[in-house]
Amino acid sequence: MRDTRSRLLILITPPALLLIMFFVLPMLNMATFSFRQGAFGEERHMWTLAHYREFLRNTAFQRLLGRSIAMAFETSLYCIILAYPLAYFLIFRAGERRVALLTLVLVPAWTSFLLRILAWKLILSSEGLLSGLLQAVGLLAEPKPVLLYSRAAVVVALTYSWLPFVALPIFAALERIDPHLLEAAADLGCPPWRAFLRVTLPLSLPGVVAGFFFVFIPTLGEWVTPALVGGVDGIMYGNIIQDQFVRGLNWPMGALMSLVMLLAMLVLLGLLVWLLKALHVELGDLIG
Amino acid sequence: MQPHRIVRWLCRVLALAMALALAACAGQKASGPLIVLDWSGYEQEVFWQEFKQAHPNVQVQHTFFAEDAEAFAKLQSGFVADLVHPNSSWLQLYVDNDLLQPIDTSKLKNWPQIMEPLAKMGQVNGKQYMAPWEWGYDSILVRTDKVPEMPDSWADLWDPRYQGHVSIFDSAESSIVVGALALGYDPYNMTDQQLEEVKQKLIALKPNLLGYWTDYTEINQQVASGEVWVAANTWPDAYVALKAEGIAVDYITPKEGRIGWVYGYCIPKSSKNPGLAHAYIDAVISKAAMVEMARQYGYGAANLAANQEIVKTLDPDVVRVMQLDNPDLVKTTVFMKPLTEEQRTKWTKVWDDVKAAP
Repeated sequence: MRDTRSRLLILITPPALLLIMFFVLPMLNMATFSFRQGAFGEERHMWTLAHYREFLRNTAFQRLLGRSIAMAFETSLYCIILAYPLAYFLIFRAGERRVALLTLVLVPAWTSFLLRILAWKLILSSEGLLSGLLQAVGLLAEPKPVLLYSRAAVVVALTYSWLPFVALPIFAALERIDPHLLEAAADLGCPPWRAFLRVTLPLSLPGVVAGFFFVFIPTLGEWVTPALVGGVDGIMYGNIIQDQFVRGLNWPMGALMSLVMLLAMLVLLGLLVWLLKALHVELGDLIG
Repeated sequence: MQPHRIVRWLCRVLALAMALALAACAGQKASGPLIVLDWSGYEQEVFWQEFKQAHPNVQVQHTFFAEDAEAFAKLQSGFVADLVHPNSSWLQLYVDNDLLQPIDTSKLKNWPQIMEPLAKMGQVNGKQYMAPWEWGYDSILVRTDKVPEMPDSWADLWDPRYQGHVSIFDSAESSIVVGALALGYDPYNMTDQQLEEVKQKLIALKPNLLGYWTDYTEINQQVASGEVWVAANTWPDAYVALKAEGIAVDYITPKEGRIGWVYGYCIPKSSKNPGLAHAYIDAVISKAAMVEMARQYGYGAANLAANQEIVKTLDPDVVRVMQLDNPDLVKTTVFMKPLTEEQRTKWTKVWDDVKAAP
């Protein structure tokens, strides 16, 4: 007994150490920073709530956070809509080739994130693929950027980038489903669509939720993609946070904005989990 | 495990973590090579050949920054460097925060060749803190074949005929000056009310904008592809690069004046080799080094002899665009002035509000 416990401690200590050093301590540091007057010199040792007041006053920041949440939500949703049929096909239709095909889906994710965003820029720009195509069909009179430098471009580029990360957990969840369950459903006279709704979908939901989180969390703080393809109205909350640190030298405000984002994220995710639980029950009852 | 055991264990882990962090901090120390905190591109040996010849055994190590704020923040948080290359508008802030040591110009044999008005811009409280190196403009680059009519004022950026084809530099320091000049205010002497007007004016520019450009290559590419017709706050090298590609561009002088900037080398207080740092400065401000810089980038040289050489040998078109032939250049250009920390914070806030506005 004693022995297992010490072994457990030995096993837990390194990851706990890493987590504390590189997650908990930096978080605490950031939280303290939000109360400092400034990042440097004497101001570093002066404490104030001024940044909190400024954030509450600044409706532009709040609106931007709201817009970024909406964009992250959209991106996650599109990712799931596209990834689910993909994973479904791989598991139930692709047969032996499923691993090979899954690898193909994942290959783009091995290249640099930046490279993939820049590739989208090439597709959407005025001399790009899409503009050329539309001109050839006669839908576009002159070379013009299509979608580029807009909110939509950010969502498109992000959806593309994160798709494999949603396909993977859904794939794993579908793979775990015991085919006997579906056979049993068919034997008992359940039509395929109903078997999907009552067996496959509920059992794969954990994968969908995991995929959603994989996309939503990093997307909300995103700033590289909006900076590259976003134009004027594609700017996200993350861009303004970056500005506070890199250009404005207003580290306390940047820290505060990051904390607010973290808080918003936790609240939203909690709400979502709660909603899914409620929905799950109702779905069962409805079809019952 | 019982609760108090967990707490005790957590405390131990925490203590270990702190000890490791402390050890990591204590581990860093600097000595040996000459460390130059510079913009990428200026590390080329042609710019400091003289130093290399005089001190062949000194190892020179370049570290890069991409924003003035980044260099400042780095030095503020304890980075040890022997040289740094800021904008003169940041000097006041560096000196206020006690980050620089004065330069002893008597140690620089090339110093007498430095143009006096530029040397003055490197002074704070009567002391020389910066050896000016390159100078240039933020002005408007125009695709002459795309615009229905050439702009001749900063206020023309708001012209609805350019809708969707204007891009402006994503920088508080230069965009707010544009807003102020368009409204006819003195950018460096504005009331809060006027600053608010500038903010509204810049928000009103949004429908005309394709984007806020951040990256030099990006804006060049957008002008080349014709997506951007009017590129505001671009530098003369954008003109040089695009002209070389055969693209129909011009670099104009708005009637309110171009915005001007001066960059140069300073010696941080943390420098352990101020003697070598002086020698490095002397090398980069030499005529040969500055002619090379002007040739490569199309910026102005702070070295008078270099400038005279450039005017003689450089493409006359570049001389025209740089206004090197204009003796009144310092008077007709709105040179960036040093901003205090308070002003800088205020301006950044305004610019963030503009960008975050719907």
